[in-house]
Amino acid sequence: MLNEIVMDIKDVSHSFGKGPKRNRVLHNINLKIREGQIVSVVGPSGCGKSVLLRAILGTHPPEQGQIVVYSGLQNEIANLRLKPDRNIGIVYQRYSLFPFLTAIENVAFGLMLDQTGILGRLFHPWKWRKMRKGHFAQAAELLEKLKLKEAMHRYPSQLSGGMCQRVAIAQALIMKPRILLLDEPFGALDEATRAELQDLVLRLYIENTSARQKKQKPPYTIMIVTHELNEAIRVGDRVIGLSMYWNWRQEIQSFPGTTIVYDKSAPVFLPEEPVDYSKLQEQKDEIAKAVFDPAYCQDRDEFRKFWVEQQINTTTIL
Amino acid sequence: MIGPSLKPVPRIMIMAASVMIIILGYTYLAHKQHIKNPKDKTIPTWVQLKEGVEKIFEKNKRSGERWIVVDAQASARRLFLGLLWGIAGAVAVGLAIGCFPVMEAVFAPSLAILAKLPPTAALALFFVMLGTGTSMFVGIIVVGILPVLAQSIYLAIKDVPRELIDKATTLGASRPELVWNVIVFHVLPQIINAIRLQIGPALVYLIAAEYATAHIGFGYRLRLQARLVNMDVVYPYLAILIIFGFLMDGVLKYAMNRLCRWYEYEGR
Repeated sequence: MLNEIVMDIKDVSHSFGKGPKRNRVLHNINLKIREGQIVSVVGPSGCGKSVLLRAILGTHPPEQGQIVVYSGLQNEIANLRLKPDRNIGIVYQRYSLFPFLTAIENVAFGLMLDQTGILGRLFHPWKWRKMRKGHFAQAAELLEKLKLKEAMHRYPSQLSGGMCQRVAIAQALIMKPRILLLDEPFGALDEATRAELQDLVLRLYIENTSARQKKQKPPYTIMIVTHELNEAIRVGDRVIGLSMYWNWRQEIQSFPGTTIVYDKSAPVFLPEEPVDYSKLQEQKDEIAKAVFDPAYCQDRDEFRKFWVEQQINTTTIL
Repeated sequence: MIGPSLKPVPRIMIMAASVMIIILGYTYLAHKQHIKNPKDKTIPTWVQLKEGVEKIFEKNKRSGERWIVVDAQASARRLFLGLLWGIAGAVAVGLAIGCFPVMEAVFAPSLAILAKLPPTAALALFFVMLGTGTSMFVGIIVVGILPVLAQSIYLAIKDVPRELIDKATTLGASRPELVWNVIVFHVLPQIINAIRLQIGPALVYLIAAEYATAHIGFGYRLRLQARLVNMDVVYPYLAILIIFGFLMDGVLKYAMNRLCRWYEYEGR
């Protein structure tokens, strides 16, 4: 059976410092992400969203537990996240692009790094030039799809914030990563540009849906970290809530760290579809209570119903 | 800068006026000095300066050589070799300590010590270790510029956002590619700027060393002519050094414009 799980986070806990200054950040995070899902991660400031993201990326591997990324092949050996590699793409809020490359060069950069080496480029210049043409053609096609044809030959400093983020998404997508991480990607943008980029992510969701209808693998799996609840619900088809407000006192003596307290599917409002604000508000209120309300310290399984809602036993999809 | 930038025409006019003030000031001083002492050589008149320039370009009757040609050849060779080794060494060491923690631990302390050493104060050390040939002049320039330049490159690398390194790794970059395709390209403008700032000190070290030990070169000629109070020769030599400095700066500015166009667009 083919592996439908793209990423499996198993019992991940993390803390900083030692002794009395030890700061517990993450506690017993367990999360399976299936191919084609667009998962929004929300949580209060300082709850450890970025720590989890860095652990997934591989720059700061977790103290305990494992994060595994599957390539989707049969009988594969899982790829343990110990350092960043091309299985995972990332788009940051800032520093998303290489300032010394134009938009098209930024997008083609990954293809160059992935398919050639320094020595190959140096000693086989003709072959490299031919390949480079192909890389630029692919990058141009993708940029055109993202409505950036006019901006192809501009440097990041000559682009608007929204254009930069679109180029950054193209740069990550061209590598066909197993999972794309978006770290508050639209946080620094104005409302209109933010909506435009949310639509861009939703168009990727549409491509996933049509691939599923054709019995093909959905091409895009995305995890988006955001502090905007509307964005989390509108863009994601699944919302994960990380919070330090949960009834840890029943289990443990001292605060063990943030954990997942919310995991449910979310309604997806496609770009041309009208948004059902009542549905959106209902879930927003639920997340606000479960994730952001210090007074509401619930059993951490109370809102973790995603797989139950989907009527899927997680052990059977592996 | 505070306030709007000047338009080109007023800017050029102000710049020309500031140069004119210097020229007029000098003319007035020379004139005043020559009223006191018509044979004065400390502040030569424009006519004396013209004679000095002619002396510099005149063929020596005995050797058949022109001062300017032999001095320029000797000094340029020493400066070129000093800059070449100094810049190459600084780039290699700066990149190594900026990119690799082990290299940082090995080289950073010795660089910090060397950067505090004024090379002109250690001239005696260079005589003993390198003799009085070309290698001594090259050595003093290298020791003078390498630590500062390497430290500038090291600090520039420290400023490369961590996110860009991580991002390049997610795109499949190997370690050498991270160094060459990300870090070198990112810090190239800072490297060029740091080299521009080191041209002046390199000239200072060279002239100081030539002043003390050379038998040929700009520093030697300046020492000789200054002793004889032949300021009509000294001033043109200084003017040539200034012009040379501007030329070097211009070449590096041109290189910056060609190689780092993105840096200009960022308005830096």
